Amino acid sequence: MSTSDMSHARDKAARLLRRRGSASSMASTQQQSIHHQSGIGPRGKHGSMSTVSYNDTHDHDNPRIPVKMEPTYQMEPAKKFPTGSVQTIISDVLSNYLQEEKYEPEMCRQMTKTISEVVKARVKDLMVPRYKVICVIHIGQKGEQGIRVGSRCLWDSGYDTFATSEFRNNSLFAIGTVYAVYHE
Amino acid sequence: MDDFQSAEEAAFVVDEVSNIIKESIESAIGGNAYQHNKVNQWTSNVVEQCLNQLTKLGKPFKYIVTCVIMQKNGAGLHTASSCFWDNTTDGSCTVRWENKTMYCIVSVFGLSI
Repeated sequence: MSTSDMSHARDKAARLLRRRGSASSMASTQQQSIHHQSGIGPRGKHGSMSTVSYNDTHDHDNPRIPVKMEPTYQMEPAKKFPTGSVQTIISDVLSNYLQEEKYEPEMCRQMTKTISEVVKARVKDLMVPRYKVICVIHIGQKGEQGIRVGSRCLWDSGYDTFATSEFRNNSLFAIGTVYAVYHE
Repeated sequence: MDDFQSAEEAAFVVDEVSNIIKESIESAIGGNAYQHNKVNQWTSNVVEQCLNQLTKLGKPFKYIVTCVIMQKNGAGLHTASSCFWDNTTDGSCTVRWENKTMYCIVSVFGLSI
């Protein structure tokens, strides 16, 4: 394939990827996966490349009409976010879904989405008022590779919190993290 | 109460955030090849720098920044996120970056206060 063909193909792939990102079947889910053969996105310096994805489910044309409500005079959460039970939920879900599974790209692609939705739903079922929930799931193939997952947050450490859990079997590993952010 | 911030000033602007992420990755990792003993430092540098720049935007947001660095050896990695939040104000942005030896995936979630 000539160089121009290559770059044409890359552009096309990037467009397809973007379209897939915005037309995700689950409205609140954004998902991406990587495989060793993929080469999408503009070339950076140092021979690196990058792609950007984001949720574009914003509804700017129909802004929500603000509801006038009486003041609650409530300055702090009525119920603190139960980190312990959330951690149990994550490890439960991860082991339930992945116990018997072998790493397969297509299955794991779906699985990350499913698991993140399930975990979010189960956390919502706890009915902790005034908390926003973000649930991040990573599933990777076990190999000789090194991996490092880190995060840092700018938030109110008094009320905001997170829970994380990890699962591994013979062929894959999974890491689930739930961040809970207090919102008045 | 009066709202002193215009809509644009108080919104989560994906382009702005994705540029911040890309710059942070480039300056923290740049042209380096995967080195096991450096990865720790790189991940913290990337999230640290992202947060620093995000704070400088001076927007009414709480931020969550996550960073994954994985060595390339043919193994696959999938990441997904789901959020329970206010779709009209909150936003997220993920950048996938790679060079010859590693993948770096950085996600920023912005939750309006």
